[in-house]
Amino acid sequence: MTSKRSTFGRDTGLQARMLLTMFLLGLVYAVLIGVLFASGARGITLAVVAGGLFLFQFFAADKLGLRAMGAREVSAKEEPVLHATIERLCVQADLPKPRIAVVDTSMPNAFAMGRSQKTATVCATTGILALLTPAELEGVMAHELTHVINRDVVIMTIAAFFASIASMIVQFGFFFGGGGEDDDDSSFFVVILVSVAVYAVSFVLMQALSRYREFAADRGAAVITGRPSALASALLKISGTMKRVPQQDLRAAPREMAAFYIFPPGVKSTISNIFATHPPLEQRLAALSRLEAQLQSGR
Amino acid sequence: MSLRDALTGRRKLKAPARDRLFALSTAYVTLEGEHGIAGLGVAGIVFQPLATSDFESIVRDMEEVVQATGGELGATVESFDDAFGYRWMIIKDPGLEDLVVAVNAVSSALETGGYGDRVLCAVFAFEGPSVGKLYFIYNYKRGTWYPFVPAGEGERATERELQVKARIERELPIEPELERWFPLWGIPF
Repeated sequence: MTSKRSTFGRDTGLQARMLLTMFLLGLVYAVLIGVLFASGARGITLAVVAGGLFLFQFFAADKLGLRAMGAREVSAKEEPVLHATIERLCVQADLPKPRIAVVDTSMPNAFAMGRSQKTATVCATTGILALLTPAELEGVMAHELTHVINRDVVIMTIAAFFASIASMIVQFGFFFGGGGEDDDDSSFFVVILVSVAVYAVSFVLMQALSRYREFAADRGAAVITGRPSALASALLKISGTMKRVPQQDLRAAPREMAAFYIFPPGVKSTISNIFATHPPLEQRLAALSRLEAQLQSGR
Repeated sequence: MSLRDALTGRRKLKAPARDRLFALSTAYVTLEGEHGIAGLGVAGIVFQPLATSDFESIVRDMEEVVQATGGELGATVESFDDAFGYRWMIIKDPGLEDLVVAVNAVSSALETGGYGDRVLCAVFAFEGPSVGKLYFIYNYKRGTWYPFVPAGEGERATERELQVKARIERELPIEPELERWFPLWGIPF
């Protein structure tokens, strides 16, 4: 009983990249805050208003998101297999059971919402329930539960906080900036310029962070289920269907939701990699295959 | 989970908590003596079977060991794969203490092999007046017990479970968070 090996090794590289990205984001935001303060009262007022709007969005996001998706909470009686699958994963991951919801659409996908483990909702589409085998579905649900465990909704929201403020300042700035006091017009112009730059840089960084969180969630799913290849097979199936099935209902979904999907809707070419919320399929499959190799070789 | 783990998204499966499996052996005296809840002589341990060669040999060896020791005690072991991909080792033995020992032998074998984090739970079947058939489920991750009384297709008798909890909570470490009393449908015994 002394042996303490864990089933999978560590992924130090991924963690380092993730921390570096967060550090860079912090740096960019520090510049924004500095400029806002330097620009005096007007800049700070703008920031407070924009921040207030953003906080409202943050706290309403769960319900708004679920409603926008047309998600409907289902009881254990309606979806016994989905419930039982998630319950077992919750025991394995030592997690309280989240709320479980279903979206009626043929497009196979799944996502998790909620700021904390207690308020989390895991959602699957009827398409994914029909498409996947029990083991594959288990892998996808474990991926979503890992998002809940890692508090990805909170982390991505915090990461987006100042970027949203910057973007709102740009919008407000053009609105207010036209008239009024000549004396601080030039400093105000600087605020807007800096906001534009902050928004652009932080956008790229946030997308990178989102991709790293996806890798971490794939990894977490492999750790919880002990079956990395089942998740790989699920991703293959989903991506195959995503290209075949036209996107009907979910096309109306808000863009920000894409970050929480198991698989991003509307994936185009890999040229736009640095703007993508999800890593390309090949990279995810390669990472999962490395995990399977670690598992098989007994690390 | 620490802030650093949350930030880096690092996941490790929680290792089993301090073992409180044997609490059932002592609690059973009260269960049977005071409340007439008797063991049905069957228990199961549920785990994720990994598709690796060393895991499979561990499981085979373990099955042989339990079968060999069980032979003297009149115990039998059989395994069963459920629809969710979990494996059940079902042990039948008239003596509850022997059942606990056998279940512990299975989990110890997995733990020694380095797969302790793959064990989901252990389930013991009981029957009692006014309760009917009930199960005590041991959650290895948390080291806690909870009663589970299924009442037909996808239904559970929560009232009965709470009654059983009230009777036994001083002897048995019961899971304090009710939302973690996860049901197990389709228990094969």
